Amino acid sequence: MKNKRRLLFRALTVCILVAVAAVMMVIGRGHTIYFDNKTATVDGQEYKAFQRVEVFVGEERVARLAKRERGMASCVGQRFSFTMDVTENKGDEPKHYEYTVSVPYGMDGMVVSVPALLAGLPEEAWRSEFVPQVVQEEEEEEVVTDEFDMDGSEF
Amino acid sequence: MNSNKTSGQKLLGFLAANSVPIMFILIIALCIPVVGFSPTFLLNEIVTRLSRNAFLILSLLIPIMAGMGLNFGMTLGAMAAEIALIFTSDWQIWGIPGIVLAMILSIPISAALGVLCGRILNAARGREMITSYIISFFMNGVYQLVVLYMMGSIIPIIHNNIKLPRGYGVRSSVDLTRIRKCLDNLVAVNIAGVRIPVLTILIIVAMCLVIVWFRRTKLGQDMRAVGQDMEVARAAGIDVERTRLISIVISTVLAGIGMVIYLQNMGDMATYSSHSQIGMFCIAALLVGGASVDKASIGNVFLGVILFHTMFILAPSAGAKITGNEVIGEYFRVFVSYGVITVALIMYETKKRREKAGIGQQLAAAQKEEGK
Repeated sequence: MKNKRRLLFRALTVCILVAVAAVMMVIGRGHTIYFDNKTATVDGQEYKAFQRVEVFVGEERVARLAKRERGMASCVGQRFSFTMDVTENKGDEPKHYEYTVSVPYGMDGMVVSVPALLAGLPEEAWRSEFVPQVVQEEEEEEVVTDEFDMDGSEF
Repeated sequence: MNSNKTSGQKLLGFLAANSVPIMFILIIALCIPVVGFSPTFLLNEIVTRLSRNAFLILSLLIPIMAGMGLNFGMTLGAMAAEIALIFTSDWQIWGIPGIVLAMILSIPISAALGVLCGRILNAARGREMITSYIISFFMNGVYQLVVLYMMGSIIPIIHNNIKLPRGYGVRSSVDLTRIRKCLDNLVAVNIAGVRIPVLTILIIVAMCLVIVWFRRTKLGQDMRAVGQDMEVARAAGIDVERTRLISIVISTVLAGIGMVIYLQNMGDMATYSSHSQIGMFCIAALLVGGASVDKASIGNVFLGVILFHTMFILAPSAGAKITGNEVIGEYFRVFVSYGVITVALIMYETKKRREKAGIGQQLAAAQKEEGK
């Protein structure tokens, strides 16, 4: 009886830890969101870039974009809320927009095309995955694995 | 006269028992005016280092309670934490969830390594400290094999900023900016220019309470009994080997969690060297706090962290001011770390020998009495 209870307790502990780990993996997944203020072409139709776009996350301004510029912000979790102040043409009053977009779990970096998003196009039109440019092969990094390192400065 | 002698003896006894902390207090008292740091700067540094290191040092208390001495094998827990942090960085789990996930991931790895270490230490009874020290070197080799050759080739690592340019193995440094000081900054207050990481300190206090509670449990009392006399404990029906093994597993798991707290504060992980000196410095800090190989308390942990790290903060600048060479100060603090461990080991062995000699003398006297 005592052994059974102990086993049950251990199994329960493991289950709780696994569940907490799973929740952490979902709520803590980080993404980088890139905002593109570039003219977008969807199904042959052109959506012009704006004169100026300011992106805010909460109170903080994360990007201030002129035409053909890209800005970025960090996002934790699978939903990302932001606001934008968009000046369509020079001299216009900026218009305020609020958005909450979903971010796919597997996407490290998501590019949001601001003109396509504001045109009310479907998700596939304004969202794309950020693919880092292939960089030239770096030089091999020297790995130091000296266990007799005497330097305690880090500690 | 007699009473004077007694108080003099008492004072001498006190000085002898606390010689290491007293020596450090004197060094610090001499260094502070030479260096001329502002009290705010010094306090900020001490609080930061206290919150960074205290949990790691607390993990050393349980094996001491079980009579297994200073657990140099805590390095194994540190390695487990590093492996967990490599995974969370690669999976891009940021902020507090990243820290919690790293702690959870480190638990099974630490526990498995703790079981291995505990079994070996049971086989090497009486030589636990040197054995755990060598195990940490052995496991460092295994860690390097896993991290340098298996990660990226057998164990999937996705991101190129973690992998070496050759396509497998982990880079010398893993960036932990996304979890840097998340725990420390979540609940923090500023008092007179001193930033206090309240949440981290609360976690440390909670750990202290758990240790106090644990000492009163059946297992805790078994550990104390085993620590006092293994044979008597065995005769009383305690499973000595199991109790010792559990103490090492708990210590290794706590060291893993402590290492996550330590590295989140640093914000950067030296993949192949972060763990190598951690055991040495934690043990040195505990000994500086007045602990010994067979006796340590929570008070020793805090006093040790404060004294040892104040010395760490002051030594390079004091070295630079006195000798004109900062490196002298660096050498000084490393020399003191190793020196204090050596002194503690000598004192422990001397005490043991004296106790043995005392028992022998008592026995001889008893035999003499019988002969009469």
